[in-house]
Amino acid sequence: TAAEPWPENAALYQQLKEEQILLSDNASSLAVQAFLQMCNLPIRVVCRANAEYMSPSGKLPFIHVGNQVVSELGPIVQFVKAKGHSLSDGLDEVQKAEMKAYMELVNNMLLTAELYLQWCDDVTIEEITRPRYGSPYPWPLNRILSYQKQWEVRRKMKAIGWAGKTLEQVLEDVDQCCQALSQRLGTQPYFFNKQPTELDALVFGHLFTILTTQLTTDELSEKVKNYSNLTAFCRRIEQQYFEGHDRDGSAMVAARSAKRSVPR
Amino acid sequence: PQSLLQAYAKFSGAPLTVNTINNPWRAPKGDIPVLISEDIVISQPAKILNFLRKQKYNADYELSAKQGADTLAYIALLEEKLLPALLHTFWVEAENYCNITKPWFASRIPFPLSLYLPGKMSREALNRILLTRGGPPLYSLTEVEAQIYRDAKECLNLLSKRLGTSQFFFGDTPTTLDAFVFGFLAPIYKVCFPRVQLQEHLKQLSNLCRFCDGILTCYFRLTVSGHSPAGQNTADANLQKLTQLVNKESNLIEKMDDNLRKSPQHPPRKLTTLKLAAGGEDSSSLNRLSP
Repeated sequence: TAAEPWPENAALYQQLKEEQILLSDNASSLAVQAFLQMCNLPIRVVCRANAEYMSPSGKLPFIHVGNQVVSELGPIVQFVKAKGHSLSDGLDEVQKAEMKAYMELVNNMLLTAELYLQWCDDVTIEEITRPRYGSPYPWPLNRILSYQKQWEVRRKMKAIGWAGKTLEQVLEDVDQCCQALSQRLGTQPYFFNKQPTELDALVFGHLFTILTTQLTTDELSEKVKNYSNLTAFCRRIEQQYFEGHDRDGSAMVAARSAKRSVPR
Repeated sequence: PQSLLQAYAKFSGAPLTVNTINNPWRAPKGDIPVLISEDIVISQPAKILNFLRKQKYNADYELSAKQGADTLAYIALLEEKLLPALLHTFWVEAENYCNITKPWFASRIPFPLSLYLPGKMSREALNRILLTRGGPPLYSLTEVEAQIYRDAKECLNLLSKRLGTSQFFFGDTPTTLDAFVFGFLAPIYKVCFPRVQLQEHLKQLSNLCRFCDGILTCYFRLTVSGHSPAGQNTADANLQKLTQLVNKESNLIEKMDDNLRKSPQHPPRKLTTLKLAAGGEDSSSLNRLSP
């Protein structure tokens, strides 16, 4: 299987690290970065205030490889596979089904919980989300963009039945999800034992971001910390794929910068 | 045919009751159709699993921690990949909705709600589909529809691979996951819609059909001649309740059958008990996408 060459100038686009990017987008971006690292495909991270509008699907991150633009982890995995690289080829059919199911679990519960926290929890919206989301733009555009996005996310939450949930219920869902992930991971290094797959990348992206992003409360990260094998998992991937690279541990920088920023 | 839809609506929670429990706790079903009850159920799968575990119900008690986690993951898969297409088939696809879903649903709820509620549910279904799956790069409804049916077919394929040759998803006894999968698959499998692309795809996956048939024969027979594999320990009270429910259903089914007999699209169907009728060969099934 001849792999098509991966160009040197492949780039991953996300919002501005320091001031703008939010928890959910950071998690998604980190997941893709981890995945590409695991495939040994170099990519540089480019931060743009209008990244969201550049993306073909409106969702982040997206990668620009050669003359193609692909957004979101699912399509990126397919795209990379078409180029001859895959992490899940060694899995049998049942394992592949399982992997896909767990990825849906993460999207269904963790990502939705992150979105809920960002856009439906009033305290978080006031103190973190709204100041950050529109920060590159002048007033009144920044306010307008934030409100627009908030309205959009809330509509979706309502359609899937999350609008009526309380924060406690959402945190409980996060706990359920972490418990399931923890139980599935067990004592293995990765979800499918010795080799990481896109599932590992996705779980890492979300859990690491939750653990290292400072929010108005610590409740979210506490839920993850309850499961020691999950924190060990994150540390393992961070050490193996993000430290000692030229990117200066972009995982850490990307995540902790969100921590450092305090709204003005 | 159409009558089966109603039965399944009531019974999508039933496998939990019949199979496994020592006290007759009613799984969340109630007399609302598949989609609503499943809506309530699905949105809190974790709560249900938790509750089941706390009550130490046999179904999931036998499961290992990993299997419990798998259950949660597969339910998420069903909700993300299969549910949009299911909603579409029932509530958005015009021919299906007008000929089957709406009359059936309207006949089960009191006037004047019957004038308003089906339309509302249809709008909400479309809304949900568009909000969760629409958006760029899919710009038209047909593109979204194509995508959700593609996803649904892939989901069915994945379920089929996972099930393999086993009778149930975790060994020989049914569990919560089996109930969920059955709840999703049975309506697709049995209801005779005019537009049936999902059903045709499902019929190609013989192990899933066998799975549905197995649960139907074991747990939905009116007369309890044999006993279900895991049912030996369940109290007769459960079976009595089930029989009562089914009798109530038969009355409603007869009434519904009368309503539908008047509809020009469908030839009058003889009311059957929960026999496994073959799919609708009379309807013109236009395949929008080849499987």
